[in-house]
Amino acid sequence: MPPKAAKGEYIETVSSSPLSTPVKPTDTNASLQSQEPLSNTHQDTGNKISRRSQIHGTQHIILGGKTVIQAEAVIRGDLYRLPSTPASTDPNNPPQPSTAPSVAITVGRYSYISKGAILRPPSRLHRGVHSYYPLKIGDHVFVGESAVVEAASLGNHVHVGARATVGSMAIIKDFSVVLDGAVVPPGMVVPSWCVVGGRPARIVGEVGEGYGVEGAEGGLARERYRAVGRS
Amino acid sequence: MSRPFPYTYVSCPCANTPVPDPAKKRRSRDSPQKPTPERTDPDDKDNKKQPENTPEEEVDEEEEEQTFDPRSPRSNFSLYPPEQLLYCEDCHQIKCPRCITEEIVSWYCPNCLFETPSSMVKGDANRCGRNCFNCPVCTSPLSVSTIENVAGKGNGQGPWVLSCAYCLWTTLDIGIKFDKPTNIRNQLQKMTDSTSAPTFDTRSRQGSRAFSDLKSPLSNLASFDEPVSTPTGSGEQVKENETDSPPLGVEARFAALKNFYRNQISETSTSPNDPLGSDLGFSSPGALNRLMSLYASSSRLGGLYGGNKKQKSKPPVMREAINASEGLRIAPENADAAIIERLSSPDCGWDGVASLSQRAEQSPDVRFVDDLLPLPVLLRTKRAKRCKSCKHILVKPETKPQSTRFRIRLIALSYIPLPSLRPLALPTSSLIPAPAPDLNALPPLRPVHVLLTLKNHMFDPVRITLATPSVTPGRVASKVTILSPQFDIGPNSDVWDEALQGASAPVTTDPRAGGLRAAEKVPEAGKVWDKGRNWTTVVLEVIPGTLPGSEADAGKEGIDEDEIAVAAQQDEDVLEIPVFVHMEWDAEAQLEQQNVGKASKPDDLVARELAYWMVLGVGRITAAL
Repeated sequence: MPPKAAKGEYIETVSSSPLSTPVKPTDTNASLQSQEPLSNTHQDTGNKISRRSQIHGTQHIILGGKTVIQAEAVIRGDLYRLPSTPASTDPNNPPQPSTAPSVAITVGRYSYISKGAILRPPSRLHRGVHSYYPLKIGDHVFVGESAVVEAASLGNHVHVGARATVGSMAIIKDFSVVLDGAVVPPGMVVPSWCVVGGRPARIVGEVGEGYGVEGAEGGLARERYRAVGRS
Repeated sequence: MSRPFPYTYVSCPCANTPVPDPAKKRRSRDSPQKPTPERTDPDDKDNKKQPENTPEEEVDEEEEEQTFDPRSPRSNFSLYPPEQLLYCEDCHQIKCPRCITEEIVSWYCPNCLFETPSSMVKGDANRCGRNCFNCPVCTSPLSVSTIENVAGKGNGQGPWVLSCAYCLWTTLDIGIKFDKPTNIRNQLQKMTDSTSAPTFDTRSRQGSRAFSDLKSPLSNLASFDEPVSTPTGSGEQVKENETDSPPLGVEARFAALKNFYRNQISETSTSPNDPLGSDLGFSSPGALNRLMSLYASSSRLGGLYGGNKKQKSKPPVMREAINASEGLRIAPENADAAIIERLSSPDCGWDGVASLSQRAEQSPDVRFVDDLLPLPVLLRTKRAKRCKSCKHILVKPETKPQSTRFRIRLIALSYIPLPSLRPLALPTSSLIPAPAPDLNALPPLRPVHVLLTLKNHMFDPVRITLATPSVTPGRVASKVTILSPQFDIGPNSDVWDEALQGASAPVTTDPRAGGLRAAEKVPEAGKVWDKGRNWTTVVLEVIPGTLPGSEADAGKEGIDEDEIAVAAQQDEDVLEIPVFVHMEWDAEAQLEQQNVGKASKPDDLVARELAYWMVLGVGRITAAL
């Protein structure tokens, strides 16, 4: 699959070789990202990233490959965890570049970040220090339009509906569904196969046993990926 | 319908056969019928089921005279998304949640994901016995945090509170602090079990004492709910508090009452080995005996029962609790007045009164937000599922709460072909440009082509026959034609082939593949649209009907807004196509053929068939042309 011409909406990462770095979304958000070093940690291939997305701190983001990031999505890789320092440092200050870049956001394969969604690493006040924790997103995850995800982890085959909010340090286990517009309170744990909805979100049901089967509900990630950038 | 268009639902056959019966299939196979093609008047807006036959052959259902109506009230109970359905290999039938029974495999807390042993579930009142609590105000989970955290000292010490990160409620609002960050539920129980008075500051100290007061005289109880933790030296306090003990908490009072009545029953029961002393005593035959003897001796009917008056002469009498240690609580004289006064006081107000939904989870006396207690998280279960008719296990999840795997999982998708629906953008109809039709606004009377893909998950090739009523039931009659109703689907094979082929396969159907390519490919009757290794796509031609009262409706001038509104309200404008699927395949004979001992021959094939209705939700029809 040759890399698409720069005119297309999507940047497709081709291989994990350094060649792929020039086609990182830095050219779209030049003002935001030109200062960033280009040592991108996108590891696998076939990611489709809209040029109109806003990705900050790319060196702290790992995309698992075949990840789709749609326009106007905001991914805050710049909110990474600082190496353990004395409690006096303010994490909001621009940090001195650390030698080993800590990972802020991990996104698995075939995950789909819809238009206008925001991925933000969770943060917590621990022993008086406000620090960020990594946000892990599994495979085949769908994040709906304008959703805000601040979870500690989203498992595999998780569906986050449009305009939903997943609060800080929440844990969404595999094969669970967050309904549209739900507000998952911070720190909530959603067990597998559960459907949560409402404000604040509660468990309102369970998905069927066939959820996540390829091609059925919860297993449409490959199709979704293929459809991107074709029309 | 809650799903976005296009969607597909599969109807479980159980809706028409109240008792799932494995013999039903055999009967239906023996009586194949070839219904004659028959057209009904498309203008017939009758809302009832139309006795209309499908033009396909071999529609061998028992109720072949009636097509499936997705709008009939019964359909609500039989239509399921395909992934919800199971399949019983013994009955050879689709199983919906109504035709299975469930049994609990394990209990677990949805918050900490720890399994609770079944022996402890009852004792813990079906709630998590650890640190998991829900906010009594907003139901979101509470987290244990130390008060010192805010101050920045941060040595993990100090009093702990439960705090809600959603509505910012904390247990400080009701004056509760915890000494340790662990075993919060026990700590809370000790605090709340004794006093229900709103003097929360003295709660913990007084509480634990009163708790022990209660505990020590009753410590011989077998099934007392709380773990016994009797402090030493409470012996004297028992005596001095017997007369004026503080009011008991709800749980303690319940325990006291339970104990009291258990004693009463054991004292008043006549037979020596009466099982009344144990749990559920009143439902036992002994209780019946006692009641019978009560009635028999107090009336002249006693003579009828053997006339043995010596035994029944003195019926045992149960008394009620008469003091607080037995669980009696006398309502305070001015309780209501105090409540009313507090309700009307300015510092309570609307916000201080607990809402109905908040009170529903609390003890009955709770009226104010200040009295709300954190709720231990209710446990959830993992359940195995069995076929109701043959009792075979269909789903058996692994016991561990964290695991998402199944020991047994017979889902319908492994057997029935997975339907998926997609609109086809065709530049054929000259006037309409190519973009895919907006499924939420289908113009009436304009043909739409939808692609129905059936994907086989079995390892045997399948012959499919589709049938649909030529006019959809309901008030909005849309015409539907399946261009190639009979086709084969190849067998499923290894997952890797799927992964390797998948990327390139559907491109052929894609309109982007060049205007030329799309233009030269037109839906043809009798030809499948596309075919892959284990899937086949056919074209459905749909002519959406007109909404009653719209301008497209014949014989009407102008738009009748009211009627359209009515139609939209009842989802009459949703274009749903019932499709009858009949599938045949040759399956390998399995163990039920009793050839366990000898190796089964590979060509030992059994013809299988399965038939069901499914509903394709294509889109919503607009009123305007």
